[in-house]
Amino acid sequence: MTPPALDSIVIAGLRQLTPPGEPDVLKEVLQLFLDDVPVRIERLRAGWQAGNAVEVQRAAHSLKGSAGNIGANDLLAVCRVLDDRSKSGDLSNLPELVASLDAEFARVEAEIQRLIA
Amino acid sequence: MAPVRVLVADDEPVSRTVVGAMLKKAGYQVTFASDGEQAWQQLTAPNPPAIALLDWEMPGMAGPEVAERIRARGEQTPTYVILLTSRDSSADIVTGLKAGANDYVTKPANEDELVARVRSLEEALANVKALQTLLPMCAYCKAIRNDQNYWEKVETYFHNRSGVSFSHGYCPNCYDRFVKPQLDALEDVTQAQRQQKERP
Repeated sequence: MTPPALDSIVIAGLRQLTPPGEPDVLKEVLQLFLDDVPVRIERLRAGWQAGNAVEVQRAAHSLKGSAGNIGANDLLAVCRVLDDRSKSGDLSNLPELVASLDAEFARVEAEIQRLIA
Repeated sequence: MAPVRVLVADDEPVSRTVVGAMLKKAGYQVTFASDGEQAWQQLTAPNPPAIALLDWEMPGMAGPEVAERIRARGEQTPTYVILLTSRDSSADIVTGLKAGANDYVTKPANEDELVARVRSLEEALANVKALQTLLPMCAYCKAIRNDQNYWEKVETYFHNRSGVSFSHGYCPNCYDRFVKPQLDALEDVTQAQRQQKERP
């Protein structure tokens, strides 16, 4: 069985951050994720296509942060490998990793759509 | 008491929002910056935030560099810095602390840990402020030890800090204790001299 795209404990932690009478923090954070992460994935892809390991690493690093904060553990794992590889300047095997990045993001996105619906 | 202001500087909006929400929930007033330059602007503006959480990797100026610059300013109560880092190797943490950070939190931040670390810095800050409002004064001559460890006359100390000037006089108690005995003694002397002159 595939593990859930988002860690339920992390999601519950975000849900309880909303102060009484204020807009829902969980929704705000998930919406930000949907707005921000595709831009960074595109930046990573562009960096990879240009053979720019520094750009790839920078994008992978911030993706790692975003994924970690919403408990997207599988996405986080892919970003971590991308971060480590690009840090060492090794851009080989990247097509597979970028493909898993897209697949993991799609899974997370579907789960977020379900949560904020 | 007004809530303590905390700056959260991170270029990555998801992290920034989550950390900010954790601190708001804990009762802090939170301001945000999305890069090192913006953080630096807030930290050098009048009445800067008491505590700053700075992301290690930010465009423009990274967290450790901002921390180093804060230290270099040599302010009496500099903003306390917590670095947010996803790097957990001890060498990196040492680099951050050497640059002048007071503490670090690894990302993604755990709410309880983050709030506990901010609280402990807030307490340290309150202690520093208490020390600054406690003036060491000589019990005999009432001189005050200033920040350069030099004993100043109380008039000089306050004049230099607040511009206040003093006119000197005496209170009724000191009149009875110091001034009157001297006047009486003077009276005695002049009386004795007068008596001496009057003798044939």
